[in-house]
Amino acid sequence: MTETPTLSELEAQAVRGRPAFGETAHILCDNLVRIFKTEGVEVVALQGLDLLIEKGELIAIVGASGSGKSTLLNVLSGLDVPTAGLARVAGTDLLSMTAKDRLRYRRETVGFIWQQTARNLLPYLTGRENVVLPMRLAGNRAQKSRAGELLDLLGVGDCADRRPGEMSGGEQQRVAIAVALANSPEVILADEPTGELDSDTSEQVFAALRSANRALGVTAVIVTHDDLVSEQVDRTVGIRDGRTSSETLRRASEDGGTIAEEYAVLDRVGRLQLPRDFTSALNMERRVRLELERDHIGVWPEGSEDE
Amino acid sequence: MNAVLLARVHRAPVAVLAILVLSASLLIAGLPRMMQAAYDDALGHLLDQTSATQTDLLIGRSPATTLDVLTEPAQFATANQTWWRLLPPELRAVTDQGPGSRAHYNAKTAGTPVAGLLGRRAMSGQFVNLGWLSDADRRVRFVRGTPPGPAGRISVPDHPDIPRLDIALVEQASKRMNLPIGTVLVLGHSNPVAARVTAIFEPLDATDRYWHHNEDMLNVSVRVKPSGDDETHITSLTSADSLLSLAGGARLLTYQWVIPVRSSAVNARNADSLIGSVARYIDRARIEGSVAGYAPQTGLTTLLSGFLDRLRAAETLLVLLFGGLLAVSLGVIALAVQLVGERTHHALSLMRARGGSLGQLVGTGVGLVALVTVPAVLLGYGAAFLVPGPVTPIVHVGPLVIGLTAIVFCAAQVAASHRRPLRDRRDDMIARRPSIRRLTLEVIVVVVALVGAYLLRNRGLTTSEPDPFLMMVPVALTVAAALITVRCYPYPLRLIVALVTRRRTAVPFLGFALAARARAFSALPVLILLPALAVSVFAAVISSGLNATQSDVAWQRTGADARIESTVEISPEAIERVRRVPGVTAVVPASKSPVQVGRGGTVGTGLAVDLAAYRAILAGTPLSVPEPPTSATASEVPALVSPELIGNATLLVGWQKQMTVVPKGIVAAMPVLGRELRNVVVVPFDANERVGARTTVNTLFIKGTGLDGRRLSEAAALAVTPVSVTVEEELDRITATPLAGTVQWTLLVVTAALTAYALLAVLIMLVIGAAERGTALSFLRTLGMPERQARGLTVLEIAPMIVLTTLAGLLLGLVLPVALGPGIDLSVYAGDLPVKDYPIDLITPALLAGGVAVVAVLGAFAHAAVSHRRALGSVLRVGES
Ligand SMILES: Nc1ncnc2c1ncn2[C@@H]1O[C@H](COP(=O)(O)OP(=O)(O)OP(=O)(O)O)[C@@H](O)[C@H]1O
Ligand SMILES: [Mg+2]
Repeated sequence: MTETPTLSELEAQAVRGRPAFGETAHILCDNLVRIFKTEGVEVVALQGLDLLIEKGELIAIVGASGSGKSTLLNVLSGLDVPTAGLARVAGTDLLSMTAKDRLRYRRETVGFIWQQTARNLLPYLTGRENVVLPMRLAGNRAQKSRAGELLDLLGVGDCADRRPGEMSGGEQQRVAIAVALANSPEVILADEPTGELDSDTSEQVFAALRSANRALGVTAVIVTHDDLVSEQVDRTVGIRDGRTSSETLRRASEDGGTIAEEYAVLDRVGRLQLPRDFTSALNMERRVRLELERDHIGVWPEGSEDE
Repeated sequence: MNAVLLARVHRAPVAVLAILVLSASLLIAGLPRMMQAAYDDALGHLLDQTSATQTDLLIGRSPATTLDVLTEPAQFATANQTWWRLLPPELRAVTDQGPGSRAHYNAKTAGTPVAGLLGRRAMSGQFVNLGWLSDADRRVRFVRGTPPGPAGRISVPDHPDIPRLDIALVEQASKRMNLPIGTVLVLGHSNPVAARVTAIFEPLDATDRYWHHNEDMLNVSVRVKPSGDDETHITSLTSADSLLSLAGGARLLTYQWVIPVRSSAVNARNADSLIGSVARYIDRARIEGSVAGYAPQTGLTTLLSGFLDRLRAAETLLVLLFGGLLAVSLGVIALAVQLVGERTHHALSLMRARGGSLGQLVGTGVGLVALVTVPAVLLGYGAAFLVPGPVTPIVHVGPLVIGLTAIVFCAAQVAASHRRPLRDRRDDMIARRPSIRRLTLEVIVVVVALVGAYLLRNRGLTTSEPDPFLMMVPVALTVAAALITVRCYPYPLRLIVALVTRRRTAVPFLGFALAARARAFSALPVLILLPALAVSVFAAVISSGLNATQSDVAWQRTGADARIESTVEISPEAIERVRRVPGVTAVVPASKSPVQVGRGGTVGTGLAVDLAAYRAILAGTPLSVPEPPTSATASEVPALVSPELIGNATLLVGWQKQMTVVPKGIVAAMPVLGRELRNVVVVPFDANERVGARTTVNTLFIKGTGLDGRRLSEAAALAVTPVSVTVEEELDRITATPLAGTVQWTLLVVTAALTAYALLAVLIMLVIGAAERGTALSFLRTLGMPERQARGLTVLEIAPMIVLTTLAGLLLGLVLPVALGPGIDLSVYAGDLPVKDYPIDLITPALLAGGVAVVAVLGAFAHAAVSHRRALGSVLRVGES
C-alpha cells in the first residue's frame, strides 16, 4: 500500500496538470456560478464550482439532491448558460458562445443522456431513426450504416427497427447513448442514466457507456446516485452546495482489487471543505485554528491548546 | 423531422386545427359573397321598383322655333346616334340598345286642348296630346280601325283648310272621353289641327317598363281643378307623317331620347363609379346639345347615391360583425396552433437539444401546420364558391390571411419557445409585478377607448363614407375590456380564496387558488372569449332591436290586425260581409281622404273614424291612438289636428262639403298616416253627415285572428280590388327584402359561429393545460382526494375565468349598441324607419352568455371526467418532460 500523497505532492500534481489553470484540460470549470432568479427569490445552484476533466476520462459526479449536479450538466451540455465564471469544453467557452456557436457545440462537441428514458427518444421513431435524427439535423452523411454500427457497439443492434415503446428501459437508455454518440462528440454527458433502472440493467447501460468511452475515446461525465456506477470509474467528483467538495481516485491494487482514496478539494484560492462528520465529531464551529507543520496542516477546534 | 409523421402522431389537435381553418375560410370567404349578393339584389330590386323615367337616361328638348322642329325620323336617328356616341364606355356597358330594349325616342305635345269635335259638342276639359313613338310598330297593336296614315288637310267649320292627321287611342281613353273611331277633333285654339281617330290600340306588353316613359298614352289622367271640374288628359299615338304638324306656336312640343339602363347590370359595387360616369355623360351631353337646348337628365344619380348612403350604414354593421368574427376565428386558430405546439413541444425540444437549429425547428413546426392549413384553406376557399354571390377581393384575401396567420403564429411560437437555451422561469408563480410602462400603456388604451366611444356618441356619424372612427371604437373598447378583465381577474378571486380558506373542505380553496395562479389563464383565451361573446351579444341585441322595429313598422303601416283600403266606397253590405269572415272579431270603418285644410288651398289628409271603437280594437297591440275629441255642442265638429294646426280656434276643412272643425287636441302620430304628421285632421266618423254630406267609407280597420288579406278582399267584393293587408303580411313584406333577410341571416350565422368559437376556445384551452392539470390532480389523488372532488377541482379552476370573461363580454355586448347606436342606421332593413333604440332586452344576451358559460363549464367537467379515467401511474408521468 502506498502512502497517502501529501498535500505538497497533490499541489505539485495539480500544478503539473495545469500550466495555467486547466489550460490543457478537456473540460474546465473555474469558479462557475449559476443563479436562478424566480420572482425575487434567488437560488444559487452553482456557487463557484471548479472542475477539471482530462480528455478521454470517465468520471462520475455524485452529490446530495439539490446540490447542483443537473445544473452543472445542463451548463456543460450547452442547454443552460452560467451566470458567471469560466466553463470551457474542448476549447469552446460556454459563456461567450453565440447562438451559432451553441448550435455547432451541440452538434459536434457534446452528446447527452437524461435520466428519464422517455425524454431521450422520440416515441414514434424507431431506434435507428432516433439515432439518425441528430445526424440529419447536423446535415451529416453516412447515416444509416453509422447508426447501425453504433447500436451494435452498444449491444442494441436488434433494437434498430423497434420503437422505444417496444424496448426495455435499459435498451432505451443504450439507444439513447447511441443517439448521444451519433455525431461523434468529444464529450458525452449523462444525468443519472441508470436512475430508473434495476441493478442488472444499470450494469449493461454503464457497460455501454464505458465501451463508448474506451472504443471511441469520448470523454464521459456521468451524474449518478448509483454506487455501482461510481465504484467503477477512475475518478468520482463529489458536489456539495454547488461546489466540488471531494474527489475519490481509484486505481487497481496489486491483488486485483481497487483502492479508493478520497481527497478533499482545494480550490484555486485555497478554500477547503471539511467533511461534515469530521467537523461535528470535533465540535468545530465557525472558527478553527490552523497550524502549518513540515508536511501537513493541522486543524484544531477553537479553544483547544497546543500540547 | 417529417411533418407527415408528426401530423399522424398528433392526429387529434391537427384535425381540430384543420377543421377550424376550413370552417373559418369558408365563413370568411362565403359570408361576404352572400352579403354582396344581397346588396346587389337589393339595388336591382330598387331599380326594378322605380319608374324607368327615373332610372333611364333621358335627353329632352323643346324646340323653341319652327326652325328647330324635326320633321323626319331620320333627324331623330342622327341625334340619337350622337347621344349614344357620347356615352362613356363604362356607362355604355350598363345601357341597353338591343332588341326589345326601352331605347327609343319620341315627340309629344303637352296640354293640347280639344277645341271642338266635328259634328258634335265636345265635352269640356278634354286634352288630347299628340305623340309619336319611334318604335310604335314594335310596341303596340291596333285592335280596331286602321293605323294612323299619312297626314292631309281638311276644312272644318271656322277653320278652313287646316292640317289633318290621324291618331289612335287606347280603348280606355276612347270610352272615357267618348272619342270613338271616326271622331274628328279640332286640337288647339290657335293654329289648330284636325285629328281623326282612326284606330284603337293596345300595348303589346303593358307591364314592360318601356311604358313608364309613355304612361300618358295608356292611361287617362284626371286632374282635379279647384273649381271642381275635372280635366282629362290622354296622349294619342300618331304617325311619323304628322311630325311636321306637331309644332305650332301654342303647342308645347317636347322631344325625348331614352337611353335605358339595364338594372341587372347595375350593382352595389359599380354604383359608385356609375354615379361619376353619369355625371360625366350629363356634362358631355349638355355641352353637345347646349346650342339647340337639349337637356339631359336622369334620376339615376340620386337613386344610386341614396342607396349607397343607406347601404354604407348597414355595411358598417356587417363589417363590424364580420371583423369580430374574423378576429375571433383567428384567435381560436392561434389557440389551436398553440395546442399543436404544446403537443409537439417534446419532439421539438429534443430536436433542439440534439443540435437542431432554430430554422430547422421552425421549419418542422411550420411544415406540420402548413400541411393541414394549406389544404384546409384551399378546401374552404373552394367551398365558398358554392355560395352564390359575386367575388370580391375579401373572398381571396380572407382565407389567405387565415392561412398566413396560422403559419406565422406557429413560426413565432416555435421560435419564441426554443430561442433561448433553457428558460429560467417557473410557471407556477404568476404574481409578477406589472411594469409601470405596461400599466401606463394599458391605461392609455382604456382611456382612448372610452373617449372614442364618448365622441362617437356625441358626434354622430357622417354616413357619406365608411367611417374608420366607427370601426376603431369597438375594437378599442374590446381590447380595453380584455385588458381590464385580465388585469382585474385575480382580485375577485383572491376575495373568494380568502373566504373559502376558512371553510373546512379543501376543494374550493385549492380550486380557486389554482385558478388564481393558472398559467392557462393567459391573455389569448380572454382575447377570444371576450370579443366572441361581446360580438354575439351585440348581434343578438341588434337583431332583437331590428325585429322590434320591423314589427313596429308593420303595425304602424297596417293600423290594426288587418286593414282594407279601397279607392272606391265600401258599402255597408261589404262591411257586413267582411265582418262575417271567419276570424274577424271587429271592424271599424273609417273614411280617409285628401282634404283642403284652411283657406290657403293646402292639401292635407282627413280621417273620419270612431276613435273610441278604434282604441278598443287596438287594445293589446303595440299601437295606440288618442282619446276621441269631445264636443261641447252637437253641431260642432270636434277634431284632433296635427301639431302645427292646433293654434287655430276653428279650422275650415274642405271635404265633401266645407266644414268647420274645432281643434280639441293634438294627434302627433297615427297608424297608417305616419309619425310626424302635418296637415292632418281627425274627426268623428259622422262628421260629414253633421254638415249634411255622406260618409264614404274607404278604409276598414279589422281585428281578428288568423286573417288573410286576400280572403278579406274577396269577401268585400268591391268593384276595384282594394289594398288588403294583415300585420303578418306587412311584416313579411318588410323582412322579405334581400337586404333585411341577409342582415338577419348574417346576424344569426355570426352569433352561432362566435358562440361555437367561444366554446371551442375553452375546450382547447382545457386540453392545452390538461397535462399540467393531470399531474397536479394525480398528486392530489395520491394524497387521498376522491375522484369526484378532483373533477370538481378542474371545474373550479376553469370556471372563474369563464364566468368573469362571460360577464365582461356580456357587458361589452350590451354597451356596444349604445355606443355605436347613432352610427348604425338599420332603417333600410326596417322599412325605412330608423331603428332608434335598441331595447335592452336582457333575456336573449343573458341566455346566450349564460349558455356559453354553462356549456363551457360542462365541457371542463366532461374533460376532467375523461382525463381522470386514465391510470394514475400514467397520469403521474404526463408532466414529466
Ligand atoms: N430552473 C430552475 N429555476 C429555479 N431553481 C432551480 C432551477 N433548476 C434548479 N434549480 C435549483 O438549483 C438547485 C440545484 O438543482 P439541481 O437540479 O442542479 O440539483 P441536482 O443536484 O440535480 O439534484 P437531484 O439529485 O435531485 O437531481 C436546487 O436548489 C434547485 O431548486
Ligand atoms: Mg438532477
